[in-house]
Amino acid sequence: MFLLFALITIIGALAMFQQKNVIVAGLCLVLTFFGVAGLFLMLSNPVAAALQIIVYSGAIMVLVLFTIMLLNSHEEEPALQPRPFQRWTGALLLAVFGAFALRLVAGSKALVDLNKAAQPVGGMNLARVGEEIFRNYLLGFEVIGLLLLAAMVGAVALTKKEL
Amino acid sequence: MAVIVKKVELTWLDRSYVWPIAAGMVITFRHFIKQITTPTSRRFTIQYPDMKKTMPKGYRGLHELKRFEDGAIKCVACFMCQEACPARCISIEAEEFSELNFTQGFEEKRPRVFKIDMLRCIYCGMCEEACPKDAIWLRNEYELAAYDRLSMNFGKWDLMNTYAAADGKARLSQDSESPATPSRPASASSHSADPA
Amino acid sequence: MESVAHSIGLSAVMIWTLVKVLVVFGFVMSIGSLWTWVERRGSAMLQDRIGPNRALLFGRWQLLGLPQLVADGIKFFFKEDQVPPHATKRLYWIAPMLAFVPALIGFAVIPFGRSFTYQGALYHLSILEPGNGMGMLYPLAIGAVAVYGILVAAWSSNNKWAILGGMRASAQMVSYEISMGLAVLAIFMRVGGYDPGEIIREQVTTGWFFWRQPFGFLVFFICMFAETNRLPFDFAEGESEIVAGFHTEFGSMKFALLALSEYAHMITASALLATMYFGGWAVPFMPVAPVLLTILFFLIKLLFFMWIFVWVRWTLPRFRYDQLMFMGWKVLLPISMANLILNAWLMARGH
Repeated sequence: MFLLFALITIIGALAMFQQKNVIVAGLCLVLTFFGVAGLFLMLSNPVAAALQIIVYSGAIMVLVLFTIMLLNSHEEEPALQPRPFQRWTGALLLAVFGAFALRLVAGSKALVDLNKAAQPVGGMNLARVGEEIFRNYLLGFEVIGLLLLAAMVGAVALTKKEL
Repeated sequence: MAVIVKKVELTWLDRSYVWPIAAGMVITFRHFIKQITTPTSRRFTIQYPDMKKTMPKGYRGLHELKRFEDGAIKCVACFMCQEACPARCISIEAEEFSELNFTQGFEEKRPRVFKIDMLRCIYCGMCEEACPKDAIWLRNEYELAAYDRLSMNFGKWDLMNTYAAADGKARLSQDSESPATPSRPASASSHSADPA
Repeated sequence: MESVAHSIGLSAVMIWTLVKVLVVFGFVMSIGSLWTWVERRGSAMLQDRIGPNRALLFGRWQLLGLPQLVADGIKFFFKEDQVPPHATKRLYWIAPMLAFVPALIGFAVIPFGRSFTYQGALYHLSILEPGNGMGMLYPLAIGAVAVYGILVAAWSSNNKWAILGGMRASAQMVSYEISMGLAVLAIFMRVGGYDPGEIIREQVTTGWFFWRQPFGFLVFFICMFAETNRLPFDFAEGESEIVAGFHTEFGSMKFALLALSEYAHMITASALLATMYFGGWAVPFMPVAPVLLTILFFLIKLLFFMWIFVWVRWTLPRFRYDQLMFMGWKVLLPISMANLILNAWLMARGH
């Protein structure tokens, strides 16, 4: 199951970079979100999975696709010129990153636990999420709220020239 | 002329949407109940091939060439209808017939060919108006359709038989000018009395 | 049941789940297609018409026009399956499925009857067992995803009308999801949990949420219309403005799937309404009811709401798009927020 969701995630992400068509790329991103939601479920955190789907694939990606559809026509954008240097650097960096990530994952203790019989963990539910946010990480939550507020104000200020 | 449209002032109840929508739903539901409890035969919709609308008195449908009681055609081929027809769909060829028929008096003209192109006819009823002999009627038949143009070209006998079945009259297919046709009422009675 | 299960190498739980899945999905699909008939005949009756009644079974039985369903199905199957030349082929193919599958699986957490014990084992009458941690978030998540079917269908068919419809639908869904979520949150807060089973038990003891949160109900109800793309809000397909909206280019079975998904959405939405505001399977004035009776009552509530969907559709004209946005952001959102805060305040004061 873990492999399945991980594969969905990775394939979705790779396909997104492969696609020249913006909308299809967006849909691949949605696929990736689903894979991530599945991974959250595997971590017995269904709340995070549900929120992942509701917020990211349900709202944010819909808005992004909406904007793309609003602005863009069907043309697929070819690369302006081949950029071999960037491409090879990107591949190299990706390889290095992948190697380190693999080492990190392979060496983690969680992998040992994964081999044990999967037992339903107590799991996250909405109540515990609330407790965590409002008791242990209250400051961070408030700061994020402020940040979002600032972003909103900034967006309004940018779009409305005369207030 | 300018019409001053009175602006409707909505109350807060109307502006809440909820109340007017509920009222509208009550109205539609009332229609629903009414319609579902009405038997099919009394609904507004006429289930056409199964049920047919009875046409009103003055309806101008398919033509009929009227006949006398003995089956002779009333038309005297005066060409009035052909002249009156705005769609020019009537074409008549007259012929003489000398036999003095009782019911026809001393007429000596009748149509040999009387054609109406039903595809051109606009069912205006001018022919009916123009006819001095009351020989052509537009009646209540309205189901006029065919698979080809030719069968929409109604001939004299078609026109005389259009309502034969509806009126319970015999279908005619030739003029009653055989020698057996009576020319005097006396001879007619004697003819019928005569077994030969 | 155990022996039968062992004979084919499955555990009783799996068999039970399989049976539930088959029964529920079969039920949802058949009700969905049946509701096309209800919609057509019902709308006819609401408008003093008669509705489809010419299809005869074996040329003889009219059966209130029900054979029309069969006729439509056969027609859809045998129609030529055309793909417009400029369409994005692969997306065009998966779009109906993207629309249909979320509509169908949203029903999975809804309990359609009281849980019962049989031979010492507890059986739950919902596809996903309660306590799975997703609870009511699951149908909301699925409902949020449902818009992709429309979006993909609209975009892939490469038609200006379709894209307009898809864009309107997506903007509408996003703006109504927020007020819907807030209305639901007020219920979660009152119940202290978000499992449908808990919500129903709370309503059995303290009364339906319809009475306790009428404004929340109103907001949720309206949002459900927007989510299912039903008539006062069917901007995805406004026939009078943009041909047929997102499914302009779709024909044959693809169109049938898109149309059926709307009905499947209606079923899920009605089930949500019944569960959250009308006590789900709870039988009024009967705290402990027999299981079959609870299923019957759930069915009655479900079908009643589905009828409401039809009824409203044939009563109201379509809103204008700016009216829709006005209502979503400036009316429903404040109401649901006020509802949430009011409930929080009441709870803080110990009510």
